[in-house]
Amino acid sequence: MNDQNKKQNDDLRSQRSRQRRIGDQLRRMYDEVVMEPVPDEFLKLLDDADIAAESSSRKDSQESKG
Amino acid sequence: MSMQDTGLSDLAFKKELAELVPHLRAFARSLCGNAALADDLAQDAMLKAWRARGSYQAGTNMKAWSFTILRNVFYSEKRKSWRQQSLDPDVAEATLISGDDSSAPLELLALRNAMNELPDDQKECLIMVGAGGLSYEEVAQICDCAVGTIKSRVSRARKAVIDILESNHTGFSSDSKLSAADAFDDIMNQAQALSGPSDGQQ
Repeated sequence: MNDQNKKQNDDLRSQRSRQRRIGDQLRRMYDEVVMEPVPDEFLKLLDDADIAAESSSRKDSQESKG
Repeated sequence: MSMQDTGLSDLAFKKELAELVPHLRAFARSLCGNAALADDLAQDAMLKAWRARGSYQAGTNMKAWSFTILRNVFYSEKRKSWRQQSLDPDVAEATLISGDDSSAPLELLALRNAMNELPDDQKECLIMVGAGGLSYEEVAQICDCAVGTIKSRVSRARKAVIDILESNHTGFSSDSKLSAADAFDDIMNQAQALSGPSDGQQ
């Protein structure tokens, strides 16, 4: 193998390894957030929206709790 | 109780949506960088998804469906923020570096900063395909464009991230001895040690 071929091969290999590494990091970055506990606020908002939907479908008046 | 004939019951829908919240948060965080703004965005998207539950078709991918909603919220907020400045990149970057992510490994901060330099259309495709576990076809549907367009955005985004990490000391030049490039060299050394045959395509 001549030097030029070797260099091209090395470049290609290092490019692939960089891309793979970026892919791994990207998943890590995303998964770190996925693994975080979800702030209570989210489920409370969803529950409130659900309760509002139910009570409006029953034509009840709704109380929002603080 | 739900009246939709092709939908889920409200209860089943709510359960599935609640399980997707961590993904909504992760997608939002990678789109807008700033954790507090991202949670606002994820909450908006979650509530919009709840209100739109009648249009969700049971059996289809709810993650893709809810990402479509989040993305729409993101772009409409972003248009508004040109007036409000709430998504100002300098503010986002300052929070990113000094604030809630300060315990994140340096290479992830470097990656986040590099991601923030990407155009939104490339960034969102790279995240959804590269981390969110969606297919090119699903992302094409979400972004309402051709599969080939998504493939080309992802590949340009990958290349741009590498270029940015290698050429730029984004966010680290002034107050850190470790530049993004140094961190990257370190990562590359680890990568050499781990290298295997796969090329990471989906």
